[in-house]
Amino acid sequence: MNYLLNISPIVASMLVVLLPFVAFIIQAILGKKSTSGIFSLVAILLSTILSGVFVFAEVWNGKPLHADYTWFTIGEKTFNIGILLNNMTVLMQFIVCIIALPVHIYSKSYLKGDSGLHRYWMYLSLFCFAMLGLTISKNLLVMYIFWELVGFASYLLIGFWFTKESAVQANKKAFLINRIGDLGFLIGLAILFSTFGTLDLVEIVGKDGLFFQSIIDINSGLITAAGICFFLGAMAKSAQFPLHLWLPDAMEGPTSVSSLIHAATMVAAGVFLLSSIFPLFNGTVLLIIAIIGTITAITSAFFAVAQYDIKKVLAFSTISQLGYMMVAVGIGAWDAAMFHLATHAFFKCLLFLSAGAVIHEMAHLKAHTNLDFDPQDLRNMGGLRQYMPKTFVMMAIASLALAGFPLTSGFLSKDAIVISAFEWAIQQGGLTIVIPIVLVIVSILTAFYIGRLIFKAFFGTLRFDVGDKVHLHEAPKTMLIPMAFLAVCSLFIVFSWNPFSYANAAILNGLVVNYTFPEIHALHTIIPIVLTATALISWVIGYSWYVKGKYPLNANSSWIDFAQNQFDMNEWMMRAFVNPTFKIGKISFWFDKYIVDGIVNGSAYITRQVSALITWIDKYIVDGIVNGVASLAYELGNALRTFQNGRLQSYLGLTMTVVLIGIIYLILK
Amino acid sequence: MGLLSLLIFLPLLATALILLLPATMRQSYKYIALGITVVQFALSGWLYSQFDNAASGINQINGFQFVEQLPWIRLDLGSLGQLEIDYFLGVDGVSLPLLVLSAFVMLMAIGASWNVTKSTKGYFSLLMLLNMAVMGIFCALDFFLFYIFYEVMLLPLYFLIGIWGGVNREYAAIKFFIYTLFGSVFMLLIIVGLYFSVINPETGANTFNMLHMMNPNNYVDGSFFAYLNNYYEVLGIPARMLGFIVLFIAFAIKIPIVPLHTWLPDAHVEAPTPVSIILAGILLKIGGYGIIRVCLSIFPDAAVDANWWLGLIGVISILYGALNALAQKDLKRLIAYSSVSHMGFVLLGVASLTAEGISGALFQMLSHGFLSAALFFLVGVIYDRVHDRNIYNFRGLATHMPAYTGFVAVAFFASLGLPGFSAFIGEAFVIIGTFNAESVGTGVSRWMAIAGSVGILLSASYLLWTLQRMFFGQTRFKGGEDWATLLTDVSARERTILFPTLTLALLLGIMPSLVFDKMNATVLNLVSLVTQYL
Repeated sequence: MNYLLNISPIVASMLVVLLPFVAFIIQAILGKKSTSGIFSLVAILLSTILSGVFVFAEVWNGKPLHADYTWFTIGEKTFNIGILLNNMTVLMQFIVCIIALPVHIYSKSYLKGDSGLHRYWMYLSLFCFAMLGLTISKNLLVMYIFWELVGFASYLLIGFWFTKESAVQANKKAFLINRIGDLGFLIGLAILFSTFGTLDLVEIVGKDGLFFQSIIDINSGLITAAGICFFLGAMAKSAQFPLHLWLPDAMEGPTSVSSLIHAATMVAAGVFLLSSIFPLFNGTVLLIIAIIGTITAITSAFFAVAQYDIKKVLAFSTISQLGYMMVAVGIGAWDAAMFHLATHAFFKCLLFLSAGAVIHEMAHLKAHTNLDFDPQDLRNMGGLRQYMPKTFVMMAIASLALAGFPLTSGFLSKDAIVISAFEWAIQQGGLTIVIPIVLVIVSILTAFYIGRLIFKAFFGTLRFDVGDKVHLHEAPKTMLIPMAFLAVCSLFIVFSWNPFSYANAAILNGLVVNYTFPEIHALHTIIPIVLTATALISWVIGYSWYVKGKYPLNANSSWIDFAQNQFDMNEWMMRAFVNPTFKIGKISFWFDKYIVDGIVNGSAYITRQVSALITWIDKYIVDGIVNGVASLAYELGNALRTFQNGRLQSYLGLTMTVVLIGIIYLILK
Repeated sequence: MGLLSLLIFLPLLATALILLLPATMRQSYKYIALGITVVQFALSGWLYSQFDNAASGINQINGFQFVEQLPWIRLDLGSLGQLEIDYFLGVDGVSLPLLVLSAFVMLMAIGASWNVTKSTKGYFSLLMLLNMAVMGIFCALDFFLFYIFYEVMLLPLYFLIGIWGGVNREYAAIKFFIYTLFGSVFMLLIIVGLYFSVINPETGANTFNMLHMMNPNNYVDGSFFAYLNNYYEVLGIPARMLGFIVLFIAFAIKIPIVPLHTWLPDAHVEAPTPVSIILAGILLKIGGYGIIRVCLSIFPDAAVDANWWLGLIGVISILYGALNALAQKDLKRLIAYSSVSHMGFVLLGVASLTAEGISGALFQMLSHGFLSAALFFLVGVIYDRVHDRNIYNFRGLATHMPAYTGFVAVAFFASLGLPGFSAFIGEAFVIIGTFNAESVGTGVSRWMAIAGSVGILLSASYLLWTLQRMFFGQTRFKGGEDWATLLTDVSARERTILFPTLTLALLLGIMPSLVFDKMNATVLNLVSLVTQYL
């Protein structure tokens, strides 16, 4: 027993990763025989306990640990499967566990009765295995493997309802766009490998890593290229503009999946990756990261405002918030990025779970009343506050956190990013000031669209007249309890005892980052006040527009349509990349069929024609000469035969003729 | 008789038995073939386990294992000296894994032939003859012997495609035959040239021994292929480069490279499923093997000059094959083009001349060996049932044949390089090795690695698109209800073949050391042999 309690963090963290994998295997073997998900649940529960008690509690603010196990040798280079436990990795692993657990519990009710439930649990465990493995990988090649595996699990889960055309289109799109990023990651690995001869994180960017032994010039083109390649990987995974297109479509999966994978954990992997290899980035790359992050944040905030599908609003909101995290990485405050990642994981997961509860009830309503409407469309909701008060309260808490309202966790992390961005921009000078200003605008938009969502769904009255027998009621306990847990985690107290300053946040203090810019104290007071005030104003406007019905704009305006369709980016991408690729494929097949194979068949044809010609020559010329000689001899003999007829008269006549000819010849001569 | 001889000639025993048994016992033919191949597989597995990982192979006879060397043909040619042909066999880290692969793929092919009814006597005896030839190719170390096995291989394949194939089988068979012969005839010229240039240092006689051909000291001064002071040129091409190019073309047809690939889609589409399995699983590997064993090792000085072009051809094959696959409507043709694309990685990796790249290429050969075999087998599953392979005639197979879809999905994801499966290790290290080549200075450019990686993206596109088109969505078949009854899920026999194959792909993806450990010493020796001419 004592031995069991003395389990080392390394072993514990391995168990954390492997338990879901075991559940995956068991579920795969049992197949349809087990749909309760008990294996997945137990596995993730044990993982969470192990991760919390034996890994996080042991390693956090302690000594970083790492271990290596030889994997294989290729040529002279040996690759290890390594485990790296430091503040960041154990934090990430714990976040994944603590989010995955409530989602597992929630799923039990949410997907009850689905015919593919056994697959759901299997895929979910596979995802947990891959995601947890990703967090503690020390070797970048191993991290890449898990990186792609989470993409694969996400593919499976987006396409969970595989008979639905839109779902299978979406999962293909998700996988392919992620593949683009994966190629960036892979090329990045190749650059690091050819520069350092290893892919071990500690050996490269560790304290005494090769990177700091001034072997290479950080501003060299190759290192810039490596940075951009890794960022490309992160862009796809973390849905950064313009590779974000897969994420809104990914909402075709079950809502529980959206909450875990496409909001809280997997999409944050890009931010996590960039934080892990942060020293690799030079000023150029960092600036690119910050700019892309800003563009992502503002565009998707705009898109979110115009969406009617409740999940799409949240999806764009996720993209926008990931843009925030990217900006944080870009300005060098990656600890703030990780902090926002942590807080966002909880409140965004809760937002999705609440949305799931709402959709669940709307779908019930649809089934009971035989009305035909889209249960995810905000325009069909309204007044749900009366029927689902608990869901409303929890979703409101999550929304406040998203908007960065004081007393919530989002307030702390968002302020950390915005204030750091201002400090960075002031130090950098020039046009960089645009970045923090855009972030403020995004913050206002965020408050507005999440307010719009709440007002439209929960305020006012239900759009349908369903009479007395309203089939709307509160979600079951197995869904509410996980949501309640997440709601608590969306409050400031989980992250910092001080609700008004992020300076005391444990995560920020745990991740030591040397900022390149000085602190400006005034900003720490002004920014939170501005952000809170603007959020309040936007809610007042939203309330009068959506609840009071004083909507001043034309709902059908082309601008709103345009924003709703993401500025037609999907169509544009189709025209720019997908269709040309098909076209090139068709052309190259034509080329193959008619040119390459044409040459082959043509030379065969020519060979046949030449041989036909030779046959002809053989038959009529060569053989013709042979036969000609033969027939000449024959004809000659035949002709001469007539002279040899045995008649004396003709012999004499012949002699006379010859003599006559001779005489004529002599005369004429 | 040595173990390798046993391994090679066991199938001949099967051929003899099958030919001798009367037609009334035709049911036993497949069991004979299966039994012999199982023994062969076990034997090759035993060789694999007994192989000394430190053996460096390539150009040192003591680096080879299980060597058998017997004088075979000795003929006094008067002024031309003594003709010296040996029966010379041996394996190193390059050939050994391919031997095991061949035995494994052959097992799959026999499993896939279970329901063949058309003159089984001829079928199985030809199959076993083919089995003998491919084993011989991977073991032979005497160029003459190698050539004999190489030519013997053509004969059974010609008949297997030409008799048991599809509608257009004769065209495909002739095309395949002529293509390969085109390469090998010129190869014969080079072999003769090498023979007259190389001398066995022990006997002083000219020799066909490949290992002697790899040692510059054995070349006669002033001979056609001499290393030093060689001023021979043909059409302005130096003699040694010419030798390299001709041998390369002979093997490149087998790989196949673009633009010498057009026999492949036709042969695959017309060939019966088991022959497709052998073609993709073994035959294409002979091309890659030949380039490593012959082109690179005998002409390393030419190889370092030509490798940029080899890399370029590899990249073109990768992209061109993938783009063509994207345009296919016939599932089998799609897989055939994907083979062109995946085998392009082999050429690219070999061209990189780095340990990572060449190991990756060898690994890719193995991985492609059983993955493409599995893919062709999977195509065969639906073709057997409804005699149709058009992608657009099927929809929503996932609901109708869930187990089959499971196998297809695993095979597809394994082929598109999902980590955890073998193809990932192969492709990733080809990319990494190629990228590294510029740092090592072997002359292959970095952009080739990037272009190659685009091929990985394209392979994901066509495979996922196919998955979406054929397997997902609402069930709908062109043949309607008839097809629905015909399309039964995979049978026990099919499971028994597919499961080990895909498990192997997974196993090698997770534990690549199973293969890398065997080949590392050999690959390093090869790299040092070649890179000394850089």
